[in-house]
Amino acid sequence: MDIVDHLSAVKRGKLSRRAFSKILLGAGIGMVSTPLASGRAAAQTGEQGTIFTWGGYDIPELYTNYEAANGAMPNFAIFGGTEEALTKLRAGFTPDVAHPCYSGLKRWVDTGMFQPIDTSRLSNWGDVMPRLSSLEGNDSGDGKPWLAPFDWGGTSITYRTDLIEVEGEESWDMLWDERYSGQLGSLASGGDAWWCGAIKAGVAFEDIDTDDGFEKVAATMRAQRPLIRVYTDDTTTLEQALASGEMVAAMTWASSAVTLASEGVPVRFAQPKEGALTWVCGLMLHKDAPNPDRAYEIIDALLSVEAGHFMIKDYGYGHANARSFDAFDDAQLAALGLSKTPDDILAAGHFQLQQTQEWETKMNETFEMIKAGF
Amino acid sequence: MTDAAAHATQPGRSVRRGPIARLRHSKTAQSYALLAPSLLVLVIGVVIPFLILLAMSFWTRQGFEFDTTMTTANYARTMDEPIFGAFLMRSFWVSGIATVATVLLCYPMAYYVAFHVHSRKMLWIVLMTLPFWTSYLLRVFAWKVILGYEGVINASLLGMGMIEKPLEFLLYSQTAVVITLAHAWAAFAILPMYVSLEKIDRSLLEAAADLGDGPVLRFLRITLPLSMPGVIAASFLIFIPTTGDYITPALLGGPDGAMIGNLIQLQFGAVNNWPMGAALSIVLMAWIAAIGLVFLFVTRRAQRMAA
Repeated sequence: MDIVDHLSAVKRGKLSRRAFSKILLGAGIGMVSTPLASGRAAAQTGEQGTIFTWGGYDIPELYTNYEAANGAMPNFAIFGGTEEALTKLRAGFTPDVAHPCYSGLKRWVDTGMFQPIDTSRLSNWGDVMPRLSSLEGNDSGDGKPWLAPFDWGGTSITYRTDLIEVEGEESWDMLWDERYSGQLGSLASGGDAWWCGAIKAGVAFEDIDTDDGFEKVAATMRAQRPLIRVYTDDTTTLEQALASGEMVAAMTWASSAVTLASEGVPVRFAQPKEGALTWVCGLMLHKDAPNPDRAYEIIDALLSVEAGHFMIKDYGYGHANARSFDAFDDAQLAALGLSKTPDDILAAGHFQLQQTQEWETKMNETFEMIKAGF
Repeated sequence: MTDAAAHATQPGRSVRRGPIARLRHSKTAQSYALLAPSLLVLVIGVVIPFLILLAMSFWTRQGFEFDTTMTTANYARTMDEPIFGAFLMRSFWVSGIATVATVLLCYPMAYYVAFHVHSRKMLWIVLMTLPFWTSYLLRVFAWKVILGYEGVINASLLGMGMIEKPLEFLLYSQTAVVITLAHAWAAFAILPMYVSLEKIDRSLLEAAADLGDGPVLRFLRITLPLSMPGVIAASFLIFIPTTGDYITPALLGGPDGAMIGNLIQLQFGAVNNWPMGAALSIVLMAWIAAIGLVFLFVTRRAQRMAA
């Protein structure tokens, strides 16, 4: 009555209906009882804090300090875009910590679901770069910030050095180059693509909310649409396409270039002459956090030098902790588009500005129409 | 006389029965009691959500909130803006081709099992539904690997020297969506067609042969008309869910392969216009219902004319 018996019975064509029903019964019991086991497992980790974050941040390397203190990883909930995250929060989801980006900070604060962070409870707060912690709109009123900055970086072009001919300096024109029609890729989220389009179109970020600026960017994105093989928010898809040569260049974050380079694919993360897009993301504390103590431990773990080393080395992202950069030399950092004095990069790049909900909605709607071919 | 008296008291007795007892003896109540569990699921899982969807489709968006004043503005937009019509047409086109392809490919399989397999039919059926033992998402993903730039098809064609560089139209195109849908829904086509083929009375075929029909005429005059219910059921089972399919065009469609399901998802996601998404869903349902009715009418008509 073991599996091999059944298999040979099938081979001989002698599997009886009764035996078949027994297998089905076994499979059914197995399937029904699986949730019970995982339910018990969930009960054990129920004590841990929950972080609501982007895909890719749900890995043990970033939470070594937290795991050392609590014996387990925090719980994760993942989102792929700001709208998705805000919708889930409005529907009643209550994590301890959330991981929004600065360009959407106002919208997250306006939900009324977050509380200012008591920085005295964060041992690593003293090392956080002031330029990041004092961003406009981050002060909740009494010196406590809404957002504890955690990661920052550039959105730029990852391209195959062996498959693309760079004329002169690296430039955003590479992603609008008709010679490579059908071999270019792009991130699907307007939160990145639209801003890169603005850089390409020469629209200053201050003017991105004007009618004229909006139309210019829209026209630029429309011109790019026929050249794009696929728009996706799944970075793995872009990385695989670049690795196989299906795409020669794609708009990505630094992590894609780092991943590909570590696999020996000849790629570069461009530093376009018009400037790359700089983004900053951070951590916010939920108003009704079920485990506030754990929440502070999560934030502190992410701000630690250990997490910073991983972010810089394996993802190619900047970290908010100034001391995280000490372990790297200038050449390493330059290759990632970073620097020992990260302030320079932040000052030089095009820094995403906060926009109103109306603008975000209008932009998303228009960009989705453009991607669909209208 | 006593009998008559007994008869006479009976109506009186039934009047005296309590309402609960009467309910217990009522045929209608009994059948509703039998239906109750599934009715409950239907009402909670289908009817109520549908009513919410219907109501929401007449609302409008205001930031993250809804303006609940009733208006047909969303429906007007589906008429006025070309994007919605274009996506609907594309969805019907892609899913129509997928339906035809699936039915054409699966009919011979069902026919073979029904007429030429004589023992272990169950094993054959189980084997044919084998692709359904993996999750839908995995099957779609597997096609991404097969059709990909360095996928199985391109690699073997390149290896045989039949192409110079990988075929790009295989992935991120409507072709990819049609191929994947046709494979992913095959079992839904095979099973109903097998059942209706299996039911055909073999003596009819013998009679046709006795009366001088060759194999082709016999198939056209007996087998095909009698198996039409299965073909129609299979077409419906594939066409209706594939029109609104989301994950296949999302993973394999690329910019030009997106379908109405993706557009609806966007309204509930990035675009954040739930009322518009609700209106689109209702429009899609209405169109599918209309197309289904026309299809049913035409096939009924054709069957009657053939008979």
